[in-house]
Amino acid sequence: MPLRAARVGRVGVIGHPVAKTAVVAKAVSPGPSPVAKTAVVAAAVTPGPGVRRRRI
Amino acid sequence: MTDTPLDDLGPVDYLVVEFPAGARNFTGEMAAELLKLVDAGTIRIVDVLILDKNEDGSVDATEFSDIDQLGELQSVEAELAELLAAEDVDHLAAAMEPGSTAGVLIWENLWAAPFASAARRSGGQLIADGRIPIQAIIASIEADDMVGATTQGD
Repeated sequence: MPLRAARVGRVGVIGHPVAKTAVVAKAVSPGPSPVAKTAVVAAAVTPGPGVRRRRI
Repeated sequence: MTDTPLDDLGPVDYLVVEFPAGARNFTGEMAAELLKLVDAGTIRIVDVLILDKNEDGSVDATEFSDIDQLGELQSVEAELAELLAAEDVDHLAAAMEPGSTAGVLIWENLWAAPFASAARRSGGQLIADGRIPIQAIIASIEADDMVGATTQGD
């Protein structure tokens, strides 16, 4: 179906072709224990004991 | 469309969710979760398009209003702003695989608007923003682990 006329001939807001991002599910899946890896990522963004501290 | 003063607007984001051929399982769950965010005042949906990328690379775009049986999303459709232009369709579809379908969603982060306004009133100006991909967090953790393993081996 065609786009509405209001969309045609206007300057867009995206500006450039979008590059495909890596699919998150695939990025988390590799390795012997994908569940464990997911937990590690969750822990990295959750405050609390055992959280690594930045080294500057 | 709402008559929101420019200074009270929250940041506007977009995403493209691709459904590869043969991997579509529309149960209404996505619509329900989206409506929860709208009803909670967390976001305002600005625009929606459905894109189909054909095997020859051509793209068909479908307006939200042309979808049969929108159900509860009908209320959302009535408020859309048609922000995306036709040239945006090609730009967004560049990320799609041939044979796939994608939903394009543009939304305003209503939750961020009061903080953004307060920052502006305080003299602040946004000079950078972005999203940290999960992949980058994984890479950082793995790099740390490698450094730790090397250090322990010394």
